[in-house]
Amino acid sequence: MPKGLVLVVDDEAPIRDILSFYLKRAGYQVLTSATGVEALEEMGRSRPDLIISDLRMPEMSGEDFCRQVKGDVATQDIYFIILSAMEGTASRISGLALGADDLIPKPFHAQEVLAKVTSAFRLIGMQNEIKRQNRELTTFQQRVQAEMALAAAFQKGLLPKLPGAANGLRYTHRYLPAAGIGGDIYAVVPLPDGATALMIADVSGHGVPAALISAMVKTSFENQVRLGGGPLEWAQGMNEDLCRATLAEQFATAWLGRLDPATHRLHHVAAGHCAPLRLAGGTLGGLRRSEVLRGRGSMLGIDPQFTYTLQEAEFLPGDRLVLYTDGLVEVEREDRTMLEEAGLRRICAELPAETEAAAEAVLTQTLAFNHPAPFEDDVTLVILDRIV
Amino acid sequence: MLNIQSRQEGTSSVVSIHGKVNFEVTAQLREVIRETVATAQPRLLVINLEGVSFIDSSGLGLLVAARNSVDKSGGRLHLCCLPAPVKKTFDQTNLSNYFSIFSTEQDALRGA
Repeated sequence: MPKGLVLVVDDEAPIRDILSFYLKRAGYQVLTSATGVEALEEMGRSRPDLIISDLRMPEMSGEDFCRQVKGDVATQDIYFIILSAMEGTASRISGLALGADDLIPKPFHAQEVLAKVTSAFRLIGMQNEIKRQNRELTTFQQRVQAEMALAAAFQKGLLPKLPGAANGLRYTHRYLPAAGIGGDIYAVVPLPDGATALMIADVSGHGVPAALISAMVKTSFENQVRLGGGPLEWAQGMNEDLCRATLAEQFATAWLGRLDPATHRLHHVAAGHCAPLRLAGGTLGGLRRSEVLRGRGSMLGIDPQFTYTLQEAEFLPGDRLVLYTDGLVEVEREDRTMLEEAGLRRICAELPAETEAAAEAVLTQTLAFNHPAPFEDDVTLVILDRIV
Repeated sequence: MLNIQSRQEGTSSVVSIHGKVNFEVTAQLREVIRETVATAQPRLLVINLEGVSFIDSSGLGLLVAARNSVDKSGGRLHLCCLPAPVKKTFDQTNLSNYFSIFSTEQDALRGA
């Protein structure tokens, strides 16, 4: 296999011949041209890897030829060696300033030219390898980006459709995954008896692994709900599911609730998740005091022996529930403080009556509190209003 | 920045952590714990959290995994010196009962 294609450009035939002889003997393919114009024509037919060109030639000077080659994106990467009879550092620098890659003074030793060509081809080989790897990386990156976009769209599809309505409830969400795709998930499932099953969860970690588990958390929750029972049984079942399916460090914090409008009761279980806020009469707007629906229970997916505790709260028509994941309240500001639950309660003390407007107000005021620090973790906020 | 120091106390290993334990640093911490457990094979691993200002869910997950791996090799994991905000996180997630938690390093080492 030939080592590469060299184009020799010189108006003196003996020089063309001697260079051609040595290069061919060393295994290169060689093309020759007597002038720059001829050389450009030759390059229209085949693309050399390397050009060795004289500077002083009739018709078109070596300078102009070099400028043309280096000025055209199609040919600028061709390694260009100038052969120059001109003495002195100044002429060498001007040769390299034209964009040439190397310079050989005349008179030359054929062995010197050969050595330079060999070293040039080493560089060309490395450049080609880097270009090939770059192309591969770019292709790979494009594929990953496309897949991530698909996955993100799929994950958005797992969320309840908005505007949300179920069994006398109206709800909306703000869902901001940190890496386009994330580990937060929530679900609102109307039950045949008029009650509604609620779930919000935050899978440890970020990105694709967390997103995969979040899809599983949702499926597990829906399965548990279908099996009947209440939040306590759901939590235990989901814990067992997740213990089976996740790796050592993976788990989900979750809050599960069952809201029964007939009895005005909200039964709920906390599994290491931030406690939701209940705003009595919150859907009427105005000043409201929030009640923290605290529970005690560890995250799902760590130990199948974990036990959970059922809590109970009142939830009347006109009440509002604020569910969220810790990413909303755990942004460290410049002064190193965070909003935390207390800050969120301050924001929720006065929210607009309308569901959408309330969600927007919480997000806007949280961002204003954090400013200029951005959200770092996945953030989910759900506002759920009981209208009847 | 996370600063982790590991030392031997007889047949026990003590890992002291200073800084914010979140997603960005869990890989670094996981490696120190893994190496301590693998090389020293301590009967008791004490993790001193005195210098920890904040721990998020990935940090908690790491500690849970550490406990499980120490359990499997027949050793024990004790935590000590939890600052108030960290203690709060453990309480909220009910992990205070999952781990053996001591108020001083001496107690944690004696608790073996």
